[in-house]
Order: sequence, then structure tokens, then C-alpha cells
Amino acid sequence: MPLIEADPAAGLYIHIPFCRAKCTYCDFNSFAGLEPLYGEYVRAVAQELESGPRAELRTVYIGGGTPTVLPLSDLSHLLEAARRGRPLPPGTEVTIEANPGTVDGAVLDGLLSLGVNRLSLGIQSFDDEELQLLGRIHTAAEALAAFQAARDAGLQNISLDLIFGLPGQDLDAWRASLDRALDLGPEHLSLYALSVEPGTRLAASIRQGELPRPDPDLAADMYELAEEACAAAGYQHYEISNWARQDGLRCEHNLIYWRNEAYVGVGAGAHSWARGQRWANVASPSAYVALISRGESPLASSEAIPPELEMGETMMMGLRLLDEGVPFERFRRRFGSDLRQRYAAEIDELDQLGLVEVDEERLRLAPRGRLLANQVFYRFLPL
Amino acid sequence: MMDQERIRNFSIIAHIDHGKSTLADRLLEQTGTLTDREMMDQVLDSMDLEREKGVTIKASAVRMAYRGEGGQEYVLNLIDTPGHVDFTYEVSRALEACEGALLVVDASQGVQAQTLANLYLALDADLTIVPIINKIDLPSARPEEVAQEVEDLLGIPAEEAIYTSAKEGTGAEAVLRAVVERIPAPRGQGDAPLRALIFDSHYDPYKGVIAYVRVVDGDLRLDEQLLLMSNRQPVDPLEIGVFRPGMKPTDRLGAGEVGYVATGLKTLQDCRVGDTLTVKANPAQQLLPGYRPAKPMVFAGLYPADGEDYELLRDALAKLQLNDASLVYEPETSQALGFGFRCGFLGLFHMDIIQERLEREYDLDVVFTSPSVEYQVLKTDGQVVAIDNPAKLPPEQEIDQIEEPWMQIQVFTPAEYIGPVMDLVTKRRGEVTKMEYLDAQRVLLAYEIPLSEIVVDFYDHLKSRTRGYASLDYSPADYRPGDLVKLEVLVGGQPVDALSIIVHREHAFLKGQKLVSKMREVIPRQMFDVAIQAAQGNRVISRATVKALRKDVLSKCYGGDVTRKRKLLEKQKAGKKRMRKVGQVEIPQEAFLSVLRLGDE
Ligand SMILES: Nc1nc2c(ncn2[C@@H]2O[C@H](COP(=O)(O)OP(=O)(O)OP(=O)(O)O)[C@@H](O)[C@H]2O)c(=O)[nH]1
Ligand code: SF4
Ligand SMILES: [Mg+2]
Repeated sequence: MPLIEADPAAGLYIHIPFCRAKCTYCDFNSFAGLEPLYGEYVRAVAQELESGPRAELRTVYIGGGTPTVLPLSDLSHLLEAARRGRPLPPGTEVTIEANPGTVDGAVLDGLLSLGVNRLSLGIQSFDDEELQLLGRIHTAAEALAAFQAARDAGLQNISLDLIFGLPGQDLDAWRASLDRALDLGPEHLSLYALSVEPGTRLAASIRQGELPRPDPDLAADMYELAEEACAAAGYQHYEISNWARQDGLRCEHNLIYWRNEAYVGVGAGAHSWARGQRWANVASPSAYVALISRGESPLASSEAIPPELEMGETMMMGLRLLDEGVPFERFRRRFGSDLRQRYAAEIDELDQLGLVEVDEERLRLAPRGRLLANQVFYRFLPL
Repeated sequence: MMDQERIRNFSIIAHIDHGKSTLADRLLEQTGTLTDREMMDQVLDSMDLEREKGVTIKASAVRMAYRGEGGQEYVLNLIDTPGHVDFTYEVSRALEACEGALLVVDASQGVQAQTLANLYLALDADLTIVPIINKIDLPSARPEEVAQEVEDLLGIPAEEAIYTSAKEGTGAEAVLRAVVERIPAPRGQGDAPLRALIFDSHYDPYKGVIAYVRVVDGDLRLDEQLLLMSNRQPVDPLEIGVFRPGMKPTDRLGAGEVGYVATGLKTLQDCRVGDTLTVKANPAQQLLPGYRPAKPMVFAGLYPADGEDYELLRDALAKLQLNDASLVYEPETSQALGFGFRCGFLGLFHMDIIQERLEREYDLDVVFTSPSVEYQVLKTDGQVVAIDNPAKLPPEQEIDQIEEPWMQIQVFTPAEYIGPVMDLVTKRRGEVTKMEYLDAQRVLLAYEIPLSEIVVDFYDHLKSRTRGYASLDYSPADYRPGDLVKLEVLVGGQPVDALSIIVHREHAFLKGQKLVSKMREVIPRQMFDVAIQAAQGNRVISRATVKALRKDVLSKCYGGDVTRKRKLLEKQKAGKKRMRKVGQVEIPQEAFLSVLRLGDE
């Protein structure tokens, strides 16, 4: 599948499916123990990037997995391939995900010099016991050190990821981790409720009774606590799970997803969306490498999204943005219809349930709708 | 004209799974009725469901040719019957068409409850019994002992027993020889006016109702107009023939023969099993003794999961009824479930089969409400009403008395389980009528017990309490007054008609509690607190709350994998669509059957 075909500009996602060790809760497309594949994989991704057409990049996001398990030279190679022939206007957001334990001062200096200007640090918790339960490769102290190193290197846009609702975690424990994160003053925070995914080691431990099953009501309390604490610390809650210090520090790349705008993913299992099509590469890194090296397409699936479904997806993603919501004018320009009319019945019902708010400009989640957002989203999907 | 001396008509009867259908296979093979290529296991079980479950649901007939000793040719008509108690009536019909029965007994299990019950049916019909001890190949087989048991319990001399392994084919020839030698030939009057007994039927879309007949007297011919004696319905036969086992046309059937008549009639009601066919021009005077029509024992509401499928459900029931006269139904409405049907079944097994057939053959998603029996309610104004839907029970103050159906049940069990069986039966209001040691190890326990206490999960509990060793048979006894009350379930303050049950007053409290906690498990959390109550009359006897849902949100961002998120939400939406709304509360369909799973004391 050709890269960035007709859209004048799109977000670019580069997937690195490698980690040092597999976390207990993780069901992402990431694998530990694939070090021998790194070199070939990087060449394959570079090749996928080079074979694609040229277009302007709105954002670049290197995610994983843990991209920083790769040597700096590989990352540099990938960024070069991405930029070859593709304008990257100054100030464009270039994010890399990293985990404590895989970055030090030298690496961070290097990343900055490659043009990376945003770092997303997977901290997850500041409690060593919790980190161990999650199967993370680092301690709280190492997480702090990584943050400090990033600041020292001069990174001015750092995001921290934290997870709440862990088995055995109580409100105080969550409050403690969150406070330490806030004390560091990151530009951005992503706070996710743990979801126990089938097939993970964590799910097995819970099923076998080795760990208590997380209580969703407690997770709801934790979420509300986070909303208060972040607001008190001066953060804007701009997406269901995301907070930013100010407007300009929202994650541009993720905003593209939430606004249902075009993006292209390269690498194993990466997803793309442009010109009415969604497509995805094969998930297996070795299969991906094999296909590319034989000169074949790494495509695993593609789906044409008819307008009605595109509207539904636009609602489902757009309503995640808490203050922005889905603006009527933007919807009308895109689909040629008035969203208030198109979804009159749904909006009416949701309004009565107190899950959404409508004003002159937009539809958005009511505060009560944040924790019950699925109840809102599914109503907009055609079925 | 087929000489009646050369005809033998017989059934195979047994306790469930003792090997009737497999023995029938061997007889078909031995007589060369089917070629090797046509042969498959339990070939007479032709319905998909029968083949899959390995049980016979519908009786079937087949005609075989057999060359006896000395080269004499015989025609043998075999009728295979179902073993499950729900279908006892099928057995009794089939027996009316025969002079003899092979009583098959499993050489390792020995005599079981239905061995006895079916034997009595056969003796009632005056049949000659040929005892067969089957499965002698099993390592646990004890053929001589079982033959002795048959003699001791059933009074059939042990030396008459024939030993077979239907699986390996051993003894098939001996069985055929015994059929010819021991079972009497039919003794109809060949020159009398036609009397043919309809002992079963099925529906064919082209030929209408196919009546399975046993000609008793006279001659059945294609070129004569026939008459159904009970309702004087004329029949112009489209085809007559015999089963081999497929339908094979002939132009006449003589006295003593078994075959079929394609009647062209459109509904089974026009051509009832048990009726007598005669010739219109020269009718017989006397009906053959018919059998009582099968009486439904349990009733349940059937509602399309999607209200728009109502018409489809109606058509499907009509089609099923064409081949299953024991299925009865009439339209009913429920506040909770909308438009549907109240259906009567022979038992829970029969209900399961109908449920599966609706799903499989008609691709319908159907909500079944909890099964109920039929009550006779004497009202204070002197009226008597039959109630088969608990929701329709009149208010308590209008009721003088409620009568409920009682059953006679027989349990065969190893003596060591007498205690647990007794305990189960008495907890369910049963009364012992007889306890008889059959031999040192085994006991026959006879009870009387309300039908409502055994329709739901009684058999499962009996089996688990006896490690699978007990066997059960039952038959209707009578109606008796009971101290019965209606238990209602209120969800969000509103009574849910389809969840009402009728229970004994003394069980009301416990059942109410269980019902409420079951409902609390199955009703998902909603946007608001949902109160669940069980009430008897105006008195709430148990309550619980399903707390409002607090958190339902996908928080993670799976890279750009929007499709994954969407699919999860679509699944959620599809699940919602299948729920029933009572007031504002969404109730999943399985809730309506949860009374079935209340568990035991
Ligand atoms: N070992 C052994 N198994 C047998 C023999 N006869 C039948 N079976 C097995 O017993 C099971 C039941 O056999 P069926 O012939 O279906 O029994 P049935 O009496 O027709 O059963 P219903 O119609 O359900 O009452 C099957 O698994 C047969 O394969 C035999 O002689 N030996
Ligand atoms: S670091 Fe992230 S991607 Fe890697 S295993 Fe852990 S959770 Fe999964
Ligand atoms: Mg059978």
C-alpha cells in the first residue's frame, strides 16, 4: 500500500515492535527477545518509507513497543528515511516513546539532535511493588532519573504515562504516584485505567486468583481523583485520558487520530487511514520483514469506510476530546450535513441521560459522560 | 395378496441408549435391506438432530425381507422407537401396530426404569416379548446375570434371552429367527372392510400428510377413496407404499401389512394419529382402539428475540407442528417480551429439541420463558380456569383453590443411594408409595410428586446424587390441591410478567431470595440503580440492587487502530440490541430462563 498518497499532509507513525521484556498487562504488538531481528527490521521500515510517495508531514510519532531499545544510529536512519523528500516544517511535533531504563543522557542528546522534540515516557507508577507487578523493567528511582536526564538534555515537551486501577492498588497509593508525577511538572500526562486484556500474564494471574480482580468502581474514584489533582496543578483535561499544561502542549499526533484525520503508519502491525480507506500491515515483525525483503506488500487488511461509518467514527473519536468535542461547523464541512439533525434522536437520549452537552458550536461529553463514554460512543455507530 | 402367515410386525423397546437403533442397523444389514454403501450408524435416526445427539426422537418404520430356515420368505416390519421418557407416547403408538416387541436390555447396566415402563406398555398392548441382552462385547457385560434379572424382575424366563452385540453384529441372525418363530403373525380379516390404524405421520411439502399405517383388516388400494373414521374426512390417496426405509410406492397394502398413505392433507390435525382409515364406498363399522392424544406437560412462552421476527416464528412453529403433533401453541402477549406464543411440550427434553430446531432449521433467536405446568384454579365465583402461564394467575383473593398435576415416578437406584434420593424427593414435596429391593443391590423407589417439582432440573440432580446410576420413569397421576402462590419479580419497581412463577407457599421465601440473587447476577449495571424485588401478593420478600454503572470507557489509545475500538463498541451495541426493556431497565434474554438455574436447596 503506497504511503501518503493523495492527502496533502498526514501524521506519520513508525512502529517499533520490540521491548526488553514483555510487561504482564501488555497486549500491544510488541515482543521481547527479538534482538537479532532489529537490523533487518529497521532496513525494512526504511524501505517501506522510501518506497512511498512524498508528502508533507504534520507530525511524526515513533511508538512501540519501546523504540529506544534500538541504537541511536537505527533511529537516525529511520528519521532520515522519513524525511527524505518529505517536508517537515519547523516546529513540527516529533515524538518518541521511551521507557526508563532504555535512555540515558547520551541517547537523549542524540534524539534531540535528530529533531525529536517530544518525549513520551512510560513511567506507569512510582511504586516499586506496582512496577514489579506490571512486569516493568525499571524502578521508580530509574524513572525519576530518566525524567531528569531528559530535562537536562533540554527536552521541553515531556509526557508521562501512568496506569491506575492496578490489582491491590488503593486510592492513597494512586494519589502518591500521581503526586510524584505532578511534582515533576511534565508538559503532558496520559493516565490510563488498567484494562485486563485476555491472553496476558496478568489476566492469567487474576483468573488463577493470585491477584485480586481490579474493582471498576474504585478505578472510577481514582479517575475522579486524578481529574481534581490535575486541575489543581493547572493542567487542562483535554481528552478522556490526557492532560496538557497548555493548549500548545496537547499531543498533535494523537489529535489527528481523535479528529479522524489522515495518518499513515509504517512497520509491523501499523494502521493507516486516508482517503476513505483504513489499512494495516501484518502484525508479525518477522513476516513483515520477509514480505518487504521480497519486495511484496506488507498489507494485511484494508477496509473502505463508507460515509455513514466515517461519521460514526468521527463521533466516536471526536467526543473523546473534552472541550473541543465535535464542532458542528467542522462536521458540516466534512460531511455536508448538520450533526444535530443527523443524530437528533441519539443526542436527545444522551442529553436526558446527562451524558452529553450541546451548545451553539459543538457536541461534547458532559462530565458524567467521561467515565461512561462507551455508552455515548456506541450510539453513534451504524448497526 | 401377501399371506399374513409370512408377516411379522414388531417394535424395539428399551431404556434410553441400550442400543435399539444400533440393533435395528444390524437387522437391516443382515436382511440385506440396505447395501453396505447405504448403511450408516443408526440409519433410522434420519433427523440431523437425532444423528448429532445420538438419540431417537421420532419413531420410524422399515420393511425387511427375510429368508427363514427352509427357504421360507418373510416380510418383517420393524418400528424403532425413542427411549426418552418425554416420548413415551410415541412408543405406545408404535406398539399398537405390532404383535411383538424386542425388549433390549444393556448387558452391563441391566434392567432400568424405562425397561420396566416400556415393558408394561408392550404388555398392555398384548405383545409377545422377545428379551435381548445387548452389548455383550463390553468388558463390564454380565449377560447371564442380566438375563436372570430379567426373569426375576420382569417374569420373562432367562432361557428365552438372546445375547447380542449390536455393535459387532453378534446374534443378529438369532434375533431374526426368534422374530419369525416367536412373534405371532397378524390375524386380520382379509375380506372384511378396510381398517387401517394410523400410528404415526409426517408432513411432506408435495404429498401432504404422510400417514404411517398398519392395515388390520381388508385391503388398502390406491384407486379407492378413503375415509378417516373419526372426522369423516375423505382422503384421495396420492400414493401408497412401504418403507425400505425410504418410501417405496406399491399399489396396495393387505391385511397385516405396514406402510404409508400420502393423503394430500395439509395439516396433521386433519389426519390424527390413532385414527382409523377405511374405504368410503364400503366403510367399516367400528373404529380401531385409538390412543389418547399426547398431552403437553410443560408450557413456556416463546418470544422472538427481535420483535420483527414474530411472523417468522409463527411460520416456523406451524411448520414444526406439521411433523410434531404433540407441539401445541397459541399466541400470547407479555408486557416484557411483546408478542409471542405459549407453547406446550411433552417435557423439557421435547422443549430443548424445539428450541434447537427453531435455532438451527429456522435460524431464529427465540427467548424461552421459564417452563410451567398447567394448574386448575377454582375461583371464589365458582369458575374453574386452567392456567399454564403464572402471569395469568388471578389475584389471591379471587382464588378458592389451586390444583396442580401430580406424577407417579419410579426410580431405579443402587441401594447405597436411597438416602440421597429420598432427600431429593422429599425436599420437592414427593411422597413415597413403594420401596422394593429388586435384588441385594438395587431398589425400586416409587413416589408421587408434583409435576412442577420435576420439570426443572430434577433429573440432573437425581443423576448427580447417584453418580449417574439411577434411572427414572414417570407418568401422570392426577390433580391435587396445593398451597400454591405466585411469586412475582419486580425490576425497577415494575412487575415483569414473564418472570412470574408459581411455587409452594413454604418454598416462596427461599425461591424468592434465589430468584433475586440470580437476577442480580444476570442484569448488567445500568445508568442508574436498579431495584430487584421478589413479591408474593403485595408483600416483598426479597430485594437487591444492581448499582449504577460507574465506569464504561476505553481509555487506551491503540496507536491508530480505530477499527479495534469500533469493533468493541459494535459488539456492545449488538449486545444491547438483544436486551429487553422493562420500563427503563434493560434485561438480558437469559434472565427469563434463569428460574431454570436456581439450583437446589
Ligand atoms: N459396546 C457396545 N455399544 C453399543 C452396542 N449397541 C449399541 N451401542 C452403543 O450404545 C449407544 C446407544 O445406542 P443406540 O442404538 O443409539 O441406542 P438407542 O436405544 O436407540 O437410544 P435412544 O434412541 O436414545 O433411546 C451408541 O453409542 C451405540 O454405539 C453394543 O452391542 N455394544
Ligand atoms: S514496554 Fe510497553 S509495549 Fe513493551 S511490553 Fe511493556 S507495555 Fe508492552
Ligand atoms: Mg435410538
